[in-house]
Amino acid sequence: MSADLIQPFPSISPSTAVHLSQQAPQILQSSSSLSLPYPLSLLTSTETQETWMTYENLLISCLRTGDNEAARRCLDELLSRFGEKNERVMALQGMYEEAVAENDKELGAVMQSYEAVLKEDPTNMPIRKRRVALLRSMGKTNDATAALVELLDASPTDSEAWAELADLYFTQGLYSQAIYSLEEVLLIIPNAWNIHARLGEIAYISATSSESSDRGNTAKVLSDALRRFCRSIELCDNYLRGYYGLKITAKKLLDALPRGGKGAIATSDGDLPPPPVETVEKLHEIATSKLAEIVRRGSAGEKGWEGYDEAELIAARALLDKDEEKVER
Amino acid sequence: MAQPVVQTIHRDPALFYWILVPITVVMILTGILRHYAMTLLQTTPKKQTLGQIRQQRSLMRGVNLRINANQLSKSSFEGRKAFLVEAFKNGAFLADPEGRGKPRPNPMTDPAMMEGMMGAMKGNVAMMVPQTLIMGWINAFFSGFVIMKLPFPLTPQFKSMLQSGVGTRDLDVRWVSSLSWYFLTLFGLQPVYNFILGSNNAANQITQQMAQMNPAGAAMTPDQDPDKLFLSEAENLEVIEHQPILDGVEDRLLARLAA
Repeated sequence: MSADLIQPFPSISPSTAVHLSQQAPQILQSSSSLSLPYPLSLLTSTETQETWMTYENLLISCLRTGDNEAARRCLDELLSRFGEKNERVMALQGMYEEAVAENDKELGAVMQSYEAVLKEDPTNMPIRKRRVALLRSMGKTNDATAALVELLDASPTDSEAWAELADLYFTQGLYSQAIYSLEEVLLIIPNAWNIHARLGEIAYISATSSESSDRGNTAKVLSDALRRFCRSIELCDNYLRGYYGLKITAKKLLDALPRGGKGAIATSDGDLPPPPVETVEKLHEIATSKLAEIVRRGSAGEKGWEGYDEAELIAARALLDKDEEKVER
Repeated sequence: MAQPVVQTIHRDPALFYWILVPITVVMILTGILRHYAMTLLQTTPKKQTLGQIRQQRSLMRGVNLRINANQLSKSSFEGRKAFLVEAFKNGAFLADPEGRGKPRPNPMTDPAMMEGMMGAMKGNVAMMVPQTLIMGWINAFFSGFVIMKLPFPLTPQFKSMLQSGVGTRDLDVRWVSSLSWYFLTLFGLQPVYNFILGSNNAANQITQQMAQMNPAGAAMTPDQDPDKLFLSEAENLEVIEHQPILDGVEDRLLARLAA
C-alpha cells in the first residue's frame, strides 16, 4: 500500500491521485476478504487508524478522478464503521453528494441538507466547512466569506479555515485582509515556511498592483515581503518559491528604494525600516544563483533535489531566461 | 555467614496446572472483560455548546498570540493586542456574559459535573469489583501454596513481595506463593493486554489510576472561572515584550548562505 494513502490528503498531486484511485479496487477487495465469527473477531481485529485514513484518502482521490463508484464503496465502508452521525463521515458524505450532483438544483438540495444539520447542531465544524466550500464552488464568494468569518468567530484556532479565508480575500483583491488572515495562521503554526512565503507573495502582489505614488509605502510593503521570503528560506533550505519570490521582490525593491542615503525612509509606527540597498543587491545575487542551481539540479533530477514541482521549475527557468535577455541587450 | 543450603521442595506438578495456569488465565480474561466493560460503560463526553467552544478557542487564540507574537510585525501585533485585550477585558468571548462576576455554583449541584463524577465512579467500580472477587477467590482456594521457583537469586527484601500468604521465615526468596503470583500478574500484564487488545486498551487499572492522577485538559478545567482566565490572559498580553523575528532576517540569511 502506498504511503500516500495514510497522509492527509491535500498534499497529493493530481498525478498521484489518479494513481491512487486506480488502486482502489484492490484495496477495497483486500479489506473485505476474511472475517471470523463474532467472539473470535474481537481478538483478531486488524483495524488501525491508518485503515480508515486510507479509506478517507481513497474516497477523496476517487472523487477527484471521477471514479464515483469506488468512492461510493469507500463511503459505505466508512458509514458502516462509524455510522451516519459521525461528523467527519457526514462531511465526507456531503462531499460525495456534491460530487455526484449534476446541476445547480441538486447542489441546492445538498446545501439545504447542510443547513438542516447545522440548525440541529451548530457545533458541527466539518459540515460548516463543507458549506463554505460549497458556497465558494457555487460562485457565491461573498456568502462563503461571511460564513467563514462566522465560523472563525466561533473557532479562531483553526488554521485551515484562516488559510481558506485568506485565499478567499485574495481572490477578491482584498490584500490587507488576506495578509491579516495569513498572519493568524502563522500565530497558530509559527514555522510554516509556505505560509511565510505566501505572505510575501501577497504583500508583493499588493505592492505591485496598487502602484501608488507613495514610494515610501511601496518600499515598506516590499521590504516586508522580502523579509517574509528570507524567513521562509531560513526555515526551509532550497525552497524554490522562497527564492523565486526573493528574486523578484529584491529587484522591485531596488527600483523603489532611494539610492544613496541610507535610512531615508522613516517609519512612523515602529515597524522595521527597509533594508539598506547593498543588502538587497546581495540578496538578489544570491537568489539568482541559488535559483539557477535549483533549476539545474532539480530538472536533472539529482539525488536530494527531487520533488520540485514541474511547473514551478519551468516558471523559475523562464524568470532566469528573461533576466539574461535583459542583460544581453 | 555460611552459604545457605539450596532448598529443594518437592512440589506436586499438579500445583502448576491447577493453580499457576488458572490464576494467569483468569487474570488475563478479567483484563479483557474489563476492557470491553469499560468500552460499554463509557459515556461519550458531553458536547460543548457553540458558545463554550468559542470561549475556549478565543482564549487559545490569546495564548497563541502571546507565544508566537514574534512572527508578526510591530504594527500588526499591536493591533491584535489592542483588540484582544479590549475584548478579553469586556468579556466579549464569554459563553455566559450574564454570569460574569457571580460566584461559581457548587459543583455538587451542577448536573454536568455530577455526570462526570458518575463516569469516574463507574470506572472505579469496574476496577474494584473484579479485583476484590478474584482476591477473595484466590485467598479461599489457593492461599498458602508455594507454586513456583524463580530461576534467579534475589535479595531477602523481595520476601514480602513474593511470599505473601506463606508465613515461613526460612524459605528461600526464590519461591513464589500463589497470592504473590496474583499480585505479579495484576501489575505485570499490561504488555499482554497491549498485545491482545491493542495499545489503547482499558484493561489495566494501574494505568487508569495514573491517568486519574493528572487529568488531561489542564488548559481549562471547568472549575475555573473563564472570566478570570481571560483577565489574566489580557494582563499577560499587555506586558509582553515584542521582538519581531523578521528583524535582521536578511542579514542572518546572508551570513548563513555566505558561510
